[in-house]
Amino acid sequence: MSAAPRSDLAVLRDAIRDTGVSRWAVVRAVLAGTMALGSAVGLAAVAAWLIAKAAQMPSPADIALAATVVRFFGISRGLFRYLERLASHDAALRGVVTLRERAYDRLARSDARVILGLRRGDIVARMGADLDAIGDVLVRAVIPLAVAVSVSAIAVAIVAVILPPAGAVLALCLVLAGGVPALLTARSARIAAVVGTRARAEVSAAALSAMDGATEHRAWGTAHEATAALARADREAEHAHELAARPAAWAAGSQALFSGIALVALVGLGVLAVQAGELDGPLAAVVALLPLAAFEAVGTVPPAVQQYYRSAAAARRLAELTEDAGAATTGAAGDAAVPAPGASSLSLDALSVAWPGMTPTRPVTAHVAPGEVLAVVGRSGVGKTTLLATLAGALPPASGTVRVGGASSSPALTGAVVAMTAEDAHVFGTTVLENLRVARGDVDETQAWDALALVGLDGWVEGLPDGIDTELGAGGRTVSGGERRRLLLARTSLVPAPVILIDEPAEHLDDAGADAVRAMVTRMRREGRTVVLVTHDLALLDLADSVVSLDD
Amino acid sequence: MTAGLGFLTALLILAQALLIARLLAPVLAPAPLTEDGLHWWGRLIPEGTRTLATGLAALAAVVLARTAIAWLQERLAHRAGVRVVARLREMVVAHVASRGPRWDTGGRTAQAATLVTRGLDDLLPYFVRYLPQLALALTVTPVMIVVVLGLDWLSAVIVVATLPLVPVFMILVGLVTQERSERHLAAMQRLGARTLDLIEGLPTLKALGRERGPASRVRELGDAQRRATMGSLRVAFLSGMVLELLTTLAVAIVAVTMGFRLVAGGIGIETALAVLVLAPEVYLPLRNVGMHFHASADGLAAADAAFALLDEADAAPSRATLGPAPDPRGLPLTVTGLSVATPAGTRLAPAALSFTASPGTITALRGPNGDGKSTALLALTGLLTPDAGAVSVDGTAVLSADAAVDEPSWLAHVAWVPQRPDLGPAGRTLSLGQRQRTALARAFESGRAVVLLDEPTSHLDRASRAEVIAGMRALADGGATVVVATHEAEVLAAADAVVDVTAARLEATA
Repeated sequence: MSAAPRSDLAVLRDAIRDTGVSRWAVVRAVLAGTMALGSAVGLAAVAAWLIAKAAQMPSPADIALAATVVRFFGISRGLFRYLERLASHDAALRGVVTLRERAYDRLARSDARVILGLRRGDIVARMGADLDAIGDVLVRAVIPLAVAVSVSAIAVAIVAVILPPAGAVLALCLVLAGGVPALLTARSARIAAVVGTRARAEVSAAALSAMDGATEHRAWGTAHEATAALARADREAEHAHELAARPAAWAAGSQALFSGIALVALVGLGVLAVQAGELDGPLAAVVALLPLAAFEAVGTVPPAVQQYYRSAAAARRLAELTEDAGAATTGAAGDAAVPAPGASSLSLDALSVAWPGMTPTRPVTAHVAPGEVLAVVGRSGVGKTTLLATLAGALPPASGTVRVGGASSSPALTGAVVAMTAEDAHVFGTTVLENLRVARGDVDETQAWDALALVGLDGWVEGLPDGIDTELGAGGRTVSGGERRRLLLARTSLVPAPVILIDEPAEHLDDAGADAVRAMVTRMRREGRTVVLVTHDLALLDLADSVVSLDD
Repeated sequence: MTAGLGFLTALLILAQALLIARLLAPVLAPAPLTEDGLHWWGRLIPEGTRTLATGLAALAAVVLARTAIAWLQERLAHRAGVRVVARLREMVVAHVASRGPRWDTGGRTAQAATLVTRGLDDLLPYFVRYLPQLALALTVTPVMIVVVLGLDWLSAVIVVATLPLVPVFMILVGLVTQERSERHLAAMQRLGARTLDLIEGLPTLKALGRERGPASRVRELGDAQRRATMGSLRVAFLSGMVLELLTTLAVAIVAVTMGFRLVAGGIGIETALAVLVLAPEVYLPLRNVGMHFHASADGLAAADAAFALLDEADAAPSRATLGPAPDPRGLPLTVTGLSVATPAGTRLAPAALSFTASPGTITALRGPNGDGKSTALLALTGLLTPDAGAVSVDGTAVLSADAAVDEPSWLAHVAWVPQRPDLGPAGRTLSLGQRQRTALARAFESGRAVVLLDEPTSHLDRASRAEVIAGMRALADGGATVVVATHEAEVLAAADAVVDVTAARLEATA
């Protein structure tokens, strides 16, 4: 439950504060950016003065300095633009690194309930993209907007010194050319966020249905309906684009209009001032031609506003993810009774389990003394994995109780007392040895080889290019399904916790896999540890001291 | 369309530049202007616009026209792109849908899903921003050069001489830095993947009580990634700098050269002003192309992935046809020696399955998960080609490894309900249980002679289960041949015959 909804700006400001980006890093990038676009304005102003002065046919020496300055601005623009891009990207990248560390830390500290519920790889992948999007707000919104303001101020100052009324007109037009498109773009971004997101979700649903349900559609002859649904969703999405394009078009038009008004006004004022004898020709040329360059800076306003909305949405998603985590953690801080290590009996009393909103399982009762093995069976989808999550303390029981070593289960037990190897446990993109050290940081090579031998993987690891120091692909993708299972078992055998929960995958275990489970459970039993094994292989049931079935 | 509007904008910019020159020249000239400084182009903008009222009115008209075009351009920009992306998406979806049930090996459907739901949207900036700018660079730039040439040939020479330097230098910088930037890019992606890997593995770490340690590792990886990224950006931004440097410097040189020629009387003020305003416009399209180039790279990668998918050869070779299917109503359905290899090719599931399902009865297929019950039902629909064995109706073969009756004629007699029915996009808003009930109702009411149900009760509560069993019984009593794959004791008890489905390991062929 979050409190009152916070504004985009507040959420984004918190996220930016979390990046820990120093003011100086941003100021440096803004200065470089101002020098770059300021060079463009300077080039236009001095070149205009140079041409107009030269027309009066002075001696070449009189325009020599201006000629040098024009050449300088010709070079400085590119150089400072390069420096600005480096400075802004460096600041943003540093910010993202800090933000990423903090987000990870906050998530890691949160309740087991939250973390074990994070199964969807999609959420995790999006978190990476969201962190980057928050960094982008610096590069694409904050810094360009600050540059736009400072360059506009410089342009106005130059014109105002020469001809005050012209300065006032330019200032007004710059404010309008920045502000009006900003408001219109914000409107467009909001439409895109609401209508556009909905339309995209419909396109995704229709596309996924047509692909996932392809066989069913073929069997029932409904394939054309699926195609028609996708076409319809695509048309909806096109309509959403259309809606968002309307304010965006007015934004583009208004920018062209206000810069044009400034041009007409300043040319007129310049000419009139010369005709009235109030102004010298070369300075009038500066006033008249400066608007051509001055409006380049406010051109960055619409994309900056769009980026602001994208980043704010990303910051909100990230805040929700970590806020939930924080709320759950404080909620669980109450229970303290952690059983003494070693004492590791497990009691299930009329225990029924369920993820929130799901149908609870049939109640089961069992008592497992230290060193005993409990097997859990049941058809797929009946809730065996949910039962393990409950035993691990990650989920409160739907009804009944679980006691671990005499204490009732709680999130505080997860990992420390009750360790679990899930069906889809992660193999990290690092070496075999490091993957085993996930169980315990101080695993040495002898222990690692011993664990690999236990599950019959020693031969396989010896055959790898760098043996135990071979890197496995990210997510362990270069490892076959059977090897992956046995590697996870080897890791589980190294976990120091007194209660071990193992979730075997629904597919049939191959012989090597079944042997590995057998060897591993036998060792756990010898070490006096309590094992709960979810299995589909009825041949493994003879390992168990007791069996509970969730089938009703 | 967008490019056409862009060209129109270029013409307006041209008119604007010439008008500014007309307006300012009289007040800046040391002596009254005697000749037309715009030469041939003066015919487009008459000398009458030198007077303030006429000139400003014309300039205001140009401004209004530019405003209208800017509005129209943004209004229409997305249209063509959105349609192309939608068409491509529909093609990919249709292609994947036609692949058959066994195409999804190694998460290819998931990859296609990511491409279709997210990847292809990256193509939009390519169509909306990059392509129009490219078209403008190819059309507007030559036109502007011709105009400058008509005004002042020396400035045109400077422009024409510097213009080729832009691509030449960018290619040179690219060649020199390519190896370096590729190395950085690879390092960057590796480090990024590792960080995500740690976040993805968080549930595993938590389950083992080891979630706190990696925070500092996330930091280290992040810092290494930042260094690698900055290394590649330092190089990547160089080509941008070359572009900016050359184009701005060329404009500066044109201005300075004209300044000294004005002093010497070699060029008129009206001409000089027009060239001064136009010179940056020559380079503008080129700079915009450079600006949007990177945005388009992601889109092109997505398009490549889509075309690679579309170019994939067709699914398994089609089977020889046995003509239209016989009507199976009232006839026994016999399966003999049906075997299907798993996608990995290590097992047969089912292996040599044989049974006869009689009309008016319920036949249950029983066996452990993964031993081929669902696959057997799929083979009975004819949508999956078995590796061995045959299906026949009253002794007449209808489906085998290398021949089959015409698909629609057979499917017209078959009702099939998979484990997780889809029911189209509307079905995705229903719960699995609701979807299953709806799909079963469709099968029960279809009146088809062969009804194949895959775990029909797995997501249902007890009351619904009893209804489903009653429904199956009613179908059988009506003369249908019902085949059901199940684990459920109640369903097995309701069946007239129970067939055990078994798998067999294939000997590894090195």
